[in-house]
Amino acid sequence: MTPTSFADPVAKVELERVFDAPPARVFEAWSRPELWSRWFPPRGFTMTIKHMDFRVGGTFDATFHNPEWGDGPFSGTYVEIVPGEKLVWTAQFPHGPEEQILTTVTFEDLGGKTRVQVVQAFRVLTPETEEAVGGAPTGWGQSLDKLGEYLAA
Amino acid sequence: MPLSASEIDAFVAIAEPQRRKIIELLAPRGRSVNDIARALGLGQPQTSKHLKVLKDAGLVEVRVAGQQRIYTLVGQPLARIQAWAAAVTATWHDRFDQLDALLVELDQEEPTP
Repeated sequence: MTPTSFADPVAKVELERVFDAPPARVFEAWSRPELWSRWFPPRGFTMTIKHMDFRVGGTFDATFHNPEWGDGPFSGTYVEIVPGEKLVWTAQFPHGPEEQILTTVTFEDLGGKTRVQVVQAFRVLTPETEEAVGGAPTGWGQSLDKLGEYLAA
Repeated sequence: MPLSASEIDAFVAIAEPQRRKIIELLAPRGRSVNDIARALGLGQPQTSKHLKVLKDAGLVEVRVAGQQRIYTLVGQPLARIQAWAAAVTATWHDRFDQLDALLVELDQEEPTP
């Protein structure tokens, strides 16, 4: 059963931002692949989405590209979808543990504007994990630093 | 640079809420086990167990002062974890900047009626 929260994450990042657009519009930027790929990649990267099934239990399969770093594939599963209000997914990297990262996004209607809050919990972080991530065939994710910095999906 | 095994241990060590409280307690100054136990409202054996995990992870060190063992924070592993979390957060701030720009762009492409 896919968790909706990690009881005891090893690391957690939380942040929020107010966007000058209504929740429905902001939410759309996460739910439509042609929009998601335009803003989600880290700076200096592009993103291709091989597959994206935006429904609860649906999966996505995507890759970040950077001329210097090469390709960084990752995949995930949508756990909870409340249009314009909430979005939860789990994500993992090739050869890493399943459901390694849980991302919870909430959209709060501020009357024409939207407060977006992101909570990202890292469930598993062991030396084996690091080895698995570092051993990815693309040479991607040589370290958990880069994992965090570039693949915070 | 990859995180070392001890740095990963440090992640695990700070994942436990009581241990995070201990780190907060020790931030301003070193404290004895009894002092920490009292502040947390925990028994001494339980507090000592948490302190052992923190010590094994290299997050605290202990020195003997008279009859007491005083625990103090070791800055380096914590700084590394904070730097890692800050890097993840910075990535999200960049993303939000990009999302902001995209929303403006979309607004211009398809003006709302």
